[in-house]
Amino acid sequence: MSMDAFIYRNLTPPPDAGNTPLSGKRFTVQANMSVRDWPTEAGSVALKGYIAVEDSTVVSRLQKAGACLVGSTRMSELGFGIRNDSSAKAVVDGHADIALITDTMGEARMAAALAGVCGFKPSHGIVSRFGLFGLVPSMECIGIAARHPFDITAVLGAIAGYDENDYSMAVDGIPDPERVHGNNDYQGFAGFIREFLESLGEEENGIFRESLQWLEMNGWRVREVSLPDIALLPAVHNVIGSVEASSSGGKYDGVRYGYRAQGTKNWNEMYLKTREEAFGLLVKSYLMQGAYFQFENYRAFENACRIRNRLLRKTQQLLQEVAMLVFPTRRHAFPADMARNIKETYEAFPFTMLSNVTGQPAIHLSNTHGGNPLEPGVQLVGPLYGDFRLLGMAERLFVSRKGAD
Amino acid sequence: MEYEAVIGLEIHLELNCATKMFCNCPNALADEPNINTCPICLWFPGSIPQFSEEALEKAVLTSLALNCEIQKLSAFDQKVYYYPDLPKGFQLSQYHRPLARNGWLDIRGMDGKTRRLRIRHIHMEEDVAKLVHEMDGKTPISLVDFNRAGVPLVEIVTEPDMRCPHDAMEFIRMLRMQVRHAGTAHCSMEAGTMRVDANISIRPLGSELMNTKVEVKNMNSIRHLGDAITYEMQRQETCLGVGEAIVLHTRLWDPEKHVTIPMRGKFAGPCIPDPSVPVIQLSDEQIGEIKSRLPEMPGDKVERFITQHGLSRDEAVMMSSERDLSEYFESVVKENVTPHLASHWVATQLHPLIRERGQNFADTPVTPARLAALICMLAGEEINTNSAKIVLSQLFERDDTPQAIVEMCGFRQVSDRDKLDELVDRILTENPSAVADFKNGQSKAMGFLIGKVMQASQGKANPKMVREILAKRLGC
Repeated sequence: MSMDAFIYRNLTPPPDAGNTPLSGKRFTVQANMSVRDWPTEAGSVALKGYIAVEDSTVVSRLQKAGACLVGSTRMSELGFGIRNDSSAKAVVDGHADIALITDTMGEARMAAALAGVCGFKPSHGIVSRFGLFGLVPSMECIGIAARHPFDITAVLGAIAGYDENDYSMAVDGIPDPERVHGNNDYQGFAGFIREFLESLGEEENGIFRESLQWLEMNGWRVREVSLPDIALLPAVHNVIGSVEASSSGGKYDGVRYGYRAQGTKNWNEMYLKTREEAFGLLVKSYLMQGAYFQFENYRAFENACRIRNRLLRKTQQLLQEVAMLVFPTRRHAFPADMARNIKETYEAFPFTMLSNVTGQPAIHLSNTHGGNPLEPGVQLVGPLYGDFRLLGMAERLFVSRKGAD
Repeated sequence: MEYEAVIGLEIHLELNCATKMFCNCPNALADEPNINTCPICLWFPGSIPQFSEEALEKAVLTSLALNCEIQKLSAFDQKVYYYPDLPKGFQLSQYHRPLARNGWLDIRGMDGKTRRLRIRHIHMEEDVAKLVHEMDGKTPISLVDFNRAGVPLVEIVTEPDMRCPHDAMEFIRMLRMQVRHAGTAHCSMEAGTMRVDANISIRPLGSELMNTKVEVKNMNSIRHLGDAITYEMQRQETCLGVGEAIVLHTRLWDPEKHVTIPMRGKFAGPCIPDPSVPVIQLSDEQIGEIKSRLPEMPGDKVERFITQHGLSRDEAVMMSSERDLSEYFESVVKENVTPHLASHWVATQLHPLIRERGQNFADTPVTPARLAALICMLAGEEINTNSAKIVLSQLFERDDTPQAIVEMCGFRQVSDRDKLDELVDRILTENPSAVADFKNGQSKAMGFLIGKVMQASQGKANPKMVREILAKRLGC
């Protein structure tokens, strides 16, 4: 892979300060995480020519911890889906050790899975969203891709924690990284959701069973659990996600910044033409869909919010019975990097969007049990704010995987 | 057919907070456009609103001053509409869960009886930017000024309890008095810190119908609010008279022509909960803590002034109409001035002079102590009323004490018996015809003679003593 993984490269990286937690580590951001004075177009015509005015909190915290920002990577429009995304590739190709990836429905984990590295989505509200140009505030967060979970733990340790620029953060829930080392109880029950398994094809089913056997080989006791509401998950994500996108995407109107269509007679026409030209097909249809639920079917939105709360309650209960929930990360028949429209996108992310809806942390581990190129890897989900414990479990499993390098 | 109006009001108040509602930009007028701005109130991508605690406290105080029940749980929603004064496509407002509900204010109706008008709810919201249209150039352009964007507002929504322009005007006066007492907003319709929209429909007198309403905006004084309602009632009556249906729409009051004209409504979409501003939770303790900072409200104050200071009800109402004024009054009383005299001088003498000079009770150079010293001299008959009035106006111009001014101007009243006897004798000798008139039963001549004595004393004679001496001399 060539240099075109980057949208913008940092040609004057600071000298390594040494003696810092992330000293020597290189990281990339996506072009929707602001770095002061860098072009920050978020993969969208809507932000054409936009130059960020402030550093996002994740960038300033990583730099303070000694990591070196090497550039910003190509991304799908406003971080929805992973078509055109080059972040995980930057890690695979050795341009960076760590890639930050917006995770709205599983993008960080999915990009990592397709590239064969590890990908993590933190609990919602423990990493500041200040400076992130997103689309779905209640679901998206800054995910982390790296070759191994140890780098992810180190990065999360540096970026997690209350930020006075983001009042939407969880005040009480922010976990303590020390708990990883203070707690050796990394084994016990791992649960898989029966209803999910039923939706898998025969081949996918076989590979997932291998993953479960691999967990058992590593001392985990695998249990079947049930979450009947899971069938409603794509609809819940779709309705809430599109409504929030439609509302929060309202700021891309061409009035104050970004792209504005020319040759219009009045401002109503300016809005219509600007927004028609500013968004790609996927985002535009998502915004339209959100507007439909907002204006024409608000009941659907209210119902989706109720089901969302129930899903969170139920999965949190399950995560008291088992230490983690196990899922595949990706599907073979629906390649996420090829998804062009809403239908294809939702079909490609069925196993990852649960933690965006509930806010729970999740990690994708690649290449867990042998060099099968079709191997989907395995996704582990922990309880809300149990991020460091989940990472601790992932570290153990990663070390013991077959063919560990 | 005789009609009555059904009127509900929607009142926006700008809270007098130091900062805007979701960022630290100053909440203040600016000389230049787009000075009080930052990435948050300009709604740059990546910025997240930071809800102001001061705005919350002032909104709670305002709601308490209007007798509302504070909701323990309230939240911000995104009110979606596209307009260049709102550059993020939605306004942060509390639609589903307002801060306060079920308030009321008592007003005096046209018939003199007390009427309780209900408030449905009070919610917080941010103000939007201001559009400036420049039509002079070759191509007309619209400019956006963000100084006002994000200024903290509360919106007060009443029940449709008002029946005539008088009710609406009295309600706004009462509301303004309460909120100014609470000290949370300036409430000036003229300056735009209080904006009142009226929803008006009419129905046959005695009916319980709720007919289609028309919204009227853009009134910039309480008088115009009354005029606009009167006009709108007549307009609707005329429509009904010719069989024209009333349709739901918004009209703009034209203060020059004194008419309402239809305006094209802004498109207002639905409201969805905002995911970035935390839900507001208030405990009983927190509400109690804020409540303890609410000063005594005018209603309670009137009763206290009657019982504690022995004022008449009218005097008490007068002395509690404004917070600054009532505090001033009580400071004067503390300086050993009888409450009645203090109330009289504050209301009839000091208030007009302060208003004339564009001052207010809190910053006038005539401090309560200075006024009290002056009133004490008057009560002790050291000076007379006329002199006191002159000294009062001098107090605005000079730093001297009232005593010093009295001495300098030689206003000290002549209460010396011998001097006054002498003066009276001289006046009686100089005015034999007036003396004769008086003896012939024309009592008016007494006033004439007192005037002459006062004139001769250059206004310094003690008028009470002059009257006594004259009466004795004239044998009555």
